[in-house]
Amino acid sequence: MRKTRLRRLAKQSLLPVFLFLSQAILASSHREAPLISNDPLADNTDLYAFRSPDDPNTVTIIANYIPFQLPEGGPNYYTFGTDIRYEIHIKNKTATPGDDITYRFTFTQVNQDPTTFFNIRLGQQNIKTNYVCEKSTNGGTSFTTIVANGTVPPANIGPRSITTPGLGLGAANYNALVQNAIATATTTEKIYCGPADDPFFVDLAGAFDVGNFRPEGNTTNPTKDGLARYNVHSIAIKIPISLLQKDGKDVSQAANILDGDFVIGVWASASRRQIKTLGANGIPTYSGNFVQVSRIGMPLTNEAVIPVGSKDRWNATTPYNSNDLQFAPFFTNPELALYMDSSQFGGAVPSLNDLRIQTRSLGTYDFRNGKPGLFVLKGSPALAGSALDDAVFGTILLPNATSPRAVDLLPIFYTGVPNLAPYQLATGKNNNVLAAGKPFINNFLPTLGDMLRLNMAVPVTPRTDPKFSSLGIIQAAVLGLTDPAYNGSTLMQFIPNMDGFPNGRRLEDDVTTIELQAVGGVALAAIGLWYDDFTGTGSPVTNKLVRTISFKSGPTTNDTTFRTSFPYVQNPWRGFDYTLKARF
Amino acid sequence: MKKIINISTLLLAVMFGLQHTAMASSHREAPLISNDPLADNTDLYAFKSPTDAEKIILIANYIPFEHPAGGPNWYSFGTNIRYEIHIDNKTTTTGDDIIYRFTFQQTNEDPTTFFNIRLGKENLKTTYTCERSMNGGSTFAVIKTGGIVPPTDIGPRSIQSGVGLNSPTYQALAQAAITTATTGERIFCGPIDDPFFVDLGGAFDVGGFRTAAQGSRDGLAKFNCHTIAIEVPVSTLQKDGKTVAMAANILDGDYTIGVWASASRPQITTLSTAGAAPTVSGNWIQVSRLGMPLTNEVVIPIGNKDNWNGTNPYTGDLGFASFFRNPELALYMDNSQFGGAVPGLAPLRIQTNSLGAFDFRNGKPGLFPLRGNPALIGTALAEPPLGFAHILLPDNASPRAVDILPAFYTGVPNLRPYQLATGKGGNPLAAGKPFINNFLPSLSDALRLNMAVPATPRNDPKFSSLGIVQAAVLGLTDPLYNANASLQFIPNMDGFPNGRRLEDDVTTIELQAVSGVVLAAIGLWYDDYPGTGSPVTPNLISVLSFNAGVTRNDTAFKTSFPFVQNPWRGFTGNSYSAPENPTLGLTLPEGSLLAYPNPFQTSVTFHYKMSAPGDVRIQFYNTSGQVVKEISQGTRPAGLHYVTVDEARLATGIYFARLFVNGKGYKAVQVLKTQ
Repeated sequence: MRKTRLRRLAKQSLLPVFLFLSQAILASSHREAPLISNDPLADNTDLYAFRSPDDPNTVTIIANYIPFQLPEGGPNYYTFGTDIRYEIHIKNKTATPGDDITYRFTFTQVNQDPTTFFNIRLGQQNIKTNYVCEKSTNGGTSFTTIVANGTVPPANIGPRSITTPGLGLGAANYNALVQNAIATATTTEKIYCGPADDPFFVDLAGAFDVGNFRPEGNTTNPTKDGLARYNVHSIAIKIPISLLQKDGKDVSQAANILDGDFVIGVWASASRRQIKTLGANGIPTYSGNFVQVSRIGMPLTNEAVIPVGSKDRWNATTPYNSNDLQFAPFFTNPELALYMDSSQFGGAVPSLNDLRIQTRSLGTYDFRNGKPGLFVLKGSPALAGSALDDAVFGTILLPNATSPRAVDLLPIFYTGVPNLAPYQLATGKNNNVLAAGKPFINNFLPTLGDMLRLNMAVPVTPRTDPKFSSLGIIQAAVLGLTDPAYNGSTLMQFIPNMDGFPNGRRLEDDVTTIELQAVGGVALAAIGLWYDDFTGTGSPVTNKLVRTISFKSGPTTNDTTFRTSFPYVQNPWRGFDYTLKARF
Repeated sequence: MKKIINISTLLLAVMFGLQHTAMASSHREAPLISNDPLADNTDLYAFKSPTDAEKIILIANYIPFEHPAGGPNWYSFGTNIRYEIHIDNKTTTTGDDIIYRFTFQQTNEDPTTFFNIRLGKENLKTTYTCERSMNGGSTFAVIKTGGIVPPTDIGPRSIQSGVGLNSPTYQALAQAAITTATTGERIFCGPIDDPFFVDLGGAFDVGGFRTAAQGSRDGLAKFNCHTIAIEVPVSTLQKDGKTVAMAANILDGDYTIGVWASASRPQITTLSTAGAAPTVSGNWIQVSRLGMPLTNEVVIPIGNKDNWNGTNPYTGDLGFASFFRNPELALYMDNSQFGGAVPGLAPLRIQTNSLGAFDFRNGKPGLFPLRGNPALIGTALAEPPLGFAHILLPDNASPRAVDILPAFYTGVPNLRPYQLATGKGGNPLAAGKPFINNFLPSLSDALRLNMAVPATPRNDPKFSSLGIVQAAVLGLTDPLYNANASLQFIPNMDGFPNGRRLEDDVTTIELQAVSGVVLAAIGLWYDDYPGTGSPVTPNLISVLSFNAGVTRNDTAFKTSFPFVQNPWRGFTGNSYSAPENPTLGLTLPEGSLLAYPNPFQTSVTFHYKMSAPGDVRIQFYNTSGQVVKEISQGTRPAGLHYVTVDEARLATGIYFARLFVNGKGYKAVQVLKTQ
């Protein structure tokens, strides 16, 4: 019954459309919460997880810390903090309550020449930092040291400090220091901990002036990358897939490229000891248990989804034990959606005019905040067998009549997206959103917590592929719907950028734009819940859909290249003479 | 001795200037504080107000490298921190005489948004309390409550528009935040352009100083910081409550104050396991301090920097004196040390054989061979209690105890030999033309200002960022000032190190000082002075011509309190607007009906567009052409409209719906009712 109602709708074919699943957004996680903004050493700025392009039997995970490092920020520059636990957490099964794998990094420092105010002089380095990496594969019950004395390279101060023999370190070049710092763990992972160009890009000035976005290419006011020419500190690990897969399988053993057994959830954190006691001379000692002070899974969650009143609590919470459900209302009715809704503040944010959430999709479904969304279908037999079935995930995805985005934004952040109806490309659906369509994502790991979820079985899109796109899975959807190479059938096949955000996150992915489009309802449109201007006949690629897909939030690429091999992030900007670029 | 007296030169061009050492003021200057930006005291200024001779301006800056677009939370003063400005005005007390203490509170006016400012509400909105002690900290009186810290200048939408604070300008917010304390001081606490300037990238690449032509760049350009600025009547600061008008002369020693600033945190911080604000307890512990610029940046070595920040200057600074007596920077201006390895400082070479006798390189005797010589009687170098030989000439391996140390730790007295060469007749130990007296011998690092010295107007052609170095040049070479040894005002006598003005290029001044320009100025000429002729030798000219690469701030200063410039705005330029996005039906032709959903079960919604107002009806027909239902909409305005119709009672099957406007019928649309 209702099935037919949904099934009919437009009688056109499955031409251009997009899809895509979503999130909410803007500047990753740099100084994103009040407390952590004042503790830069522990501030986890970004997290990436992707299959290594040059070594596809491995996955590379990169967690960045310490935002806004001025390349010439002497005399002390920046490095990892001692007394902080930096951790990367990996979940690969739902049966266990917490981490399945944990990598823990702790750092130590020494002054090789305490008599100078220079950081590097005469071959000696001050605040010289080393690390220990420990690994747990039993939920943190026990840890084994896998790198005992790793080296963190110094800041790239300048030619005198780095390459001049005698006066400085006399290295052949800065890259040699980075290469030498890449360690191999006793458990075979490759590890790099050290300074890097901040790979994130966003127009901070535009985004946070109450939504004063400046899309790349606009002729009114050129966009500015607020993170241009800043460095961060990276913890990068390249891990064999067989170490991450829950049963120790290699990728060659995957049933197919969306094998659900190859999904991992990743998040990173920083923890400090609970009690800090200053000595009379201001020198602190630390005691007590470690307390989590920063975390990141999906990009921009705590930047632009969680409101200021809850940001600090978000950082202190782990994504396990259903802790994150307390924050679910911020996903099911995201603040950003208010600015894409003409009945709310949409009219007050003209830079987002391209994004307007469906108010009457298919003439019925209203996805504006507080509206029912698909809840009107609750209990319909048409949902049987789909992810929206109460017997499947309906209680999460269709919780009530006022949580419209529980059907798209919430699962992207909290569970991953299953390869189940309706979460398949419209290709082959014959206009029935609830029908089976062309598979394109399966990163489902329903822990109900914010994590970056990656299906490791999905092949890598070569960075040189003409179809490589910073729009990640949005572009995979576009190709799957419009490119004759992919839209001829509902068969599962590899579509370029299926390995992109939010199926993991590549360094190149423009997550700000992707997430804003998603809040704008592009995911809903993609699964057949077209925009309001779809007339019911003709192409569903309406003006509104085109505008949504064409929207850009600001810069779409990093301000420098990435490296083609591990650790992929680019070497840090050199303080003495980096090329200047406006940041605001 | 004899050699000294023998010098028979005129007092031509020379400079002077007392000294210190350094480069980037105090931004992230020590390992610990570099990781606690809220408490990081970056700069301290103290100068005679250029707009009111009876007022002194004290400015303490905190929180380095604030990105003007650093949202969503931007920056503000920390709660749980005591920000203090300390003033010493007499030697009879052991510590501070006046303390201004600032504490801050924050509130979120709208915790439901991630924006800092939205719809007239401001999050992390900060206010302050100012307390003042006039008895060394024994008791404090509140002199301002509810002081306002303006928000960051995020951009036009946040500051000026209705979606933001709806302020006419950012300047209006800054101006409105200037307040007057119950005790008469004017106060401003808030974000500003960072007034400091230095080539960080050059300086700290093992002294890779560059000229502008070589690509020097201001590492602090386009960054903001937070300032605490106070305009204080001289009579409040002067030890006996006197005004400037009551000063005996422009170098009246009773008008010297020593100023330093600090930030302190409670001893114990306990983190919440739930992300609540940490709880704090225990005594307040000093974690950052700043008196003279750049002390902890480039005088104190890394092994001692944290200790420096935690030390009470009155009781602990002598423990650091060795870093001034033999400063590290001097190694890079000394060819027998690392001078050859630092070409950026090649113009600066310390005297190794001044007057054929005196070697001021690190570890050398300097003037120590003169100690006890009767010629020193009547000078500052005499034995105590008449002089300070025990401090200035302590041993035969502390050459800079005579110039660098007093500039930082005691101030410079208007005593021989610390007077301009003008009038000395070629004998450095003779009386010369007075030009500085900021002597307050507390033996601690402080910014010392003689408040009796008049301000140099900022538009005076003789105003110079070289401060007292330039006053010395004028006093020695300008006919207006070099005719005799009488005390007179010379432009820039109110400049660093007699206090510190916003414009003063302290990096250049201090580097010149480490290279011995002070010594030269008092007659201890550079090595290339042959004993006759002009002492303005190529070496001296080389030193005076040196600058550290950046000589001025990247924007103008204000001409009235608080003098520091408004913060850089995060968003500049016009706002981009995407084309309007109609709410619906862009392509819907006039008169046509759109039905959703279709097929339907119980209700169907029609959507139609009208270009002009009209009376609207929708008729429902069955396949036999019978009207089974008519929906009257009455008169509807132009635009897009919806109507949802409950058709639960209709039998399943095919129907047609037709729109009528003012009686005119349009093309019918087919709808299907299913079960």
